[in-house]
Amino acid sequence: MLELAGVPAVSICTEAFVVPARAMADVYGHPEFEFVTIPHPIASLGPEEIEANVRPIVADVVRILVGA
Amino acid sequence: MNPGIPSAGANLPLVDADEIRRVLEDYFERGWTDGLPVMPVTESVLAEFLDATTHDPDEVLLDMPHLNRACTVRLAAINAAMAGCRPEYFPVVVAAWAALQAENYVTRGIWQSTTGTAPMLLVNGPIREQIGLNSRGNVFGSGFRANATIGRAIRLTAINAFGLRPGELDQATQGNPAKYTACIAENEEESPWAPFHVEHGFDPQASTVTAMTMRSVAHIEARHTTVPEQLGVEIAGTIARTGALIHETISACIVLGPEHAVLLARAGWSKDDLRRFVYEHAVNSREALAAAGKDAVSGKTRWRLSSEHAEAVPDSTPDADVVRVLGSEQAVQIIVAGAHNAGVSAVIETFGPRGGPPAIAPVEPV
Repeated sequence: MLELAGVPAVSICTEAFVVPARAMADVYGHPEFEFVTIPHPIASLGPEEIEANVRPIVADVVRILVGA
Repeated sequence: MNPGIPSAGANLPLVDADEIRRVLEDYFERGWTDGLPVMPVTESVLAEFLDATTHDPDEVLLDMPHLNRACTVRLAAINAAMAGCRPEYFPVVVAAWAALQAENYVTRGIWQSTTGTAPMLLVNGPIREQIGLNSRGNVFGSGFRANATIGRAIRLTAINAFGLRPGELDQATQGNPAKYTACIAENEEESPWAPFHVEHGFDPQASTVTAMTMRSVAHIEARHTTVPEQLGVEIAGTIARTGALIHETISACIVLGPEHAVLLARAGWSKDDLRRFVYEHAVNSREALAAAGKDAVSGKTRWRLSSEHAEAVPDSTPDADVVRVLGSEQAVQIIVAGAHNAGVSAVIETFGPRGGPPAIAPVEPV
């Protein structure tokens, strides 16, 4: 939605939601839409575990944001 | 004679069973079912359903803008026929969609949520008798075609018109059994109070459908008492369970068995008396909330969590030792359904409206 409004954005979802994320991208007519995945779950993790899960995706987030 | 195996007779239809199976299997393979066989639909069958309503086939009944998909009268009719409805049920299905649109949860994606809600439909008025909707014994159970197929018509439409298939656009963690079908009628005849739709301003001779977004139906055993306050405590305690709290407060529809409704009425209680009692007694102690890790709310989502959580902020009544789970008396709806044969009632745990009016739509007279 943000990207449609011209704002660079990146979607991050956990591995549990890859199929619905892909389905939503299809609904919007952008089957090639690129998003980043992290391990599931999030809600029951502490800050250190969250950080450990996020570090590996930082490069991908930046790459998608700058459109490289 | 075994009642399960009809004997051959001149009045039985002659059909090719293999052809019927081939058609049903084709529907399964196309992903058009809820896991049970559906009724095949042809243009002539569809025409019978469209003739049962004055609505235009292309009229949109419910819109999901985030999916860029909508349910038209035609799509609703096809799925109602597939669900096994008779054409004369269709005005109830159309009203159900109007009520769901008015409730405004489905339009915002609640059917895709991990919570796994299902639509619970409540029917009031003369249409109940006209099409054989059950409001008495086994009201949540099986055995009644109108109840079974009207509820199922909504599910099949969710699957086929909106594409809400499990694991794809429907992300329910567990779902609930009502996702097959959930349509009940109020037992107006054995209720000591005005019917639900009359309470909300409709004429007794009008028929209506009320839509609720439900998470579960919790059963209440209270055969032991004739004291209204004891029954009220049982109901309030059922509503107050901490496991139901995702937000700070919840909403509920109390489904009183006629025996319980009569017990309360004989003691002089109105629906509003019960509503007030339940509002005041559906509580948790601060200690009990803390023990469950739900004694505060998130500053971002307002979901309940532990006061020790990094996002925690105080809930709306931080100084109270006893915390209400209902935001207002109006968060409780009350209906009467079931058989007049035991002290059994239920609570439908709903997702909102947490204080607003219920979503009721009139059934078009046919």
